[in-house]
Amino acid sequence: MHFLAASIESLGAKVTGWFAVAYGMAAFLGRAGRLLLDRATWNRATFDVVVKQVYFTAVQILHVYLGYVLVISWLMVSIILSTARDFGLTEFASEMTIRVLVLELLPFLTALFIALRSGSAINTEVALMQVNNELDALAHCKVPPMQFEFLPRLIGGVISVVTLSGLAGLLALLMGYLAIYGLTPAGFAPYTQTIAKIFDFQIVAGLIAKCALFGLAVTLIPVTAGLETPKKLFMVPVSVLRGMMRVFLAIVAIEVVSLALKYI
Amino acid sequence: MNGFHFKVGLFAAASLLLGGAFLVYLLHARGFFEDTFHLQLAAASADNVAPGVPIVFSGIEIGQVVTLGLNEAGGILIHASFLERNARWLKENSTFTLDKPLVGGARIRVESPDLGAPPLPDGSTVLLQVSDISREIPVLVERVKAVLANVEHLTRQDGEIHATLGNLKTVTGRMTGEYGMLESILGSPEKARAVTDALDKTRVLITRLDGLALKMDGMAAKTDTWLFAPDGVAEQTRESLAQVRLMLGDAQSSLKKADALMTHAVEISANVKDGTQDLAALRTEIDEAVRRANALVNEINKKWPFARDPEVKLP
Repeated sequence: MHFLAASIESLGAKVTGWFAVAYGMAAFLGRAGRLLLDRATWNRATFDVVVKQVYFTAVQILHVYLGYVLVISWLMVSIILSTARDFGLTEFASEMTIRVLVLELLPFLTALFIALRSGSAINTEVALMQVNNELDALAHCKVPPMQFEFLPRLIGGVISVVTLSGLAGLLALLMGYLAIYGLTPAGFAPYTQTIAKIFDFQIVAGLIAKCALFGLAVTLIPVTAGLETPKKLFMVPVSVLRGMMRVFLAIVAIEVVSLALKYI
Repeated sequence: MNGFHFKVGLFAAASLLLGGAFLVYLLHARGFFEDTFHLQLAAASADNVAPGVPIVFSGIEIGQVVTLGLNEAGGILIHASFLERNARWLKENSTFTLDKPLVGGARIRVESPDLGAPPLPDGSTVLLQVSDISREIPVLVERVKAVLANVEHLTRQDGEIHATLGNLKTVTGRMTGEYGMLESILGSPEKARAVTDALDKTRVLITRLDGLALKMDGMAAKTDTWLFAPDGVAEQTRESLAQVRLMLGDAQSSLKKADALMTHAVEISANVKDGTQDLAALRTEIDEAVRRANALVNEINKKWPFARDPEVKLP
């Protein structure tokens, strides 16, 4: 009986904790959104931080990322094509390639890439700033951390994930064309037809929204996880661990919901 | 110059440019910059047709079904839209067929046998034919079932094929016996043995006949020698016959002499007196005899050497 009560209590504590985390994130997002709409936010300093964030999140890794996308796309296209040929479904190969790569796999991989590289860095940095009371010091110096530290990171994350996913998608479309039709313009009309068939307004809007949500998840969750860190140095790794787990769950949840909305 | 701002600027510009180009391409692909061509397809049934069903020409999608509904008369009207650039494949003699393959979704196939034909006007109504494989399958299955039932009937335990196979088994079983095929045809080893015995006897008989024929050949050769040798029977016969001829020739000449004698005798008797009636009668008789003898000799000469031995009668 005692064990059951303890289990229920622990479950309740967990649910409460999750609610608290979700509320914290929503409240943070609300504040960020309000700040975003505030004209005073958009000064040169904020803009510079956004540019710096975009540079570190997207531009610095662009060549590595595009090489990685090239290899992944080429592999996936080859596998899909050969499988489609084996089963006599070649006519569906181009559509399958575009759907799998451009709409699902590449945005997901981009989000994971950014989460592992920038998300973990953001989480650690915010956690250390929190432990070292730097955030309080900044606020004390009339440098609101939300405006100069957090909001630029959110915007940079969203822009980075959306842009990188878009570039990866274009590269994958090119790879798909080359793999299916080779270096001839002969397949341009049917390929255009397939693209036109897939990318209707809903799909494009959904893709952009999904990428933006991915970008938000890989920056917002690490920031809030870092802010939650108790002011003890040994809690920093725990904070990063929790933040990264939440980022992973959020990315999977966004992907699953997007798939459900699209195909169910 | 701030290198880091430059890089971000380049990245942003390139991304915007590529994104914008793709957007324009997408709008072009979706026919945003061109007119839409509309077509109405009249069908007997709307089975398998739904908005979004592709319309393909030579395997390439050129349009799709937009809406479908009933008209005033209760028929099905399917509205399809095409991009202006794809509408050029639609001709007045084009046929529209609804295909429902076993794998993949339904689609409407357009076939334009003559691309030189006048183009189909916008908004026209055409007939949609149906070729549904899945609908033919139950019919096919029924027929296959009937065929299988027949096969089952033929191959049942007491069926004809079973009996035939049994007989065949007996026959082939006999074939493996001592007398092989012969036994399988005749039915038992005894009968087969009788046939082989008869054959053996025939063989012996033929051997003997062969010997006999050889002997007869020898005899014939001997007969030839006997008959036609330089001193053989044939030669002797020929000589004898030659002698007979000579004899006959002698007989003829004797008769001629007798004739002359008789003529003289008649003349003498006529000169002496008118002669007597007896002598005249005698003369007639001798003439007759000579004539007959002559005829006989001639006949023998003509028919020689096959003539019978003629009898020469003299008066």
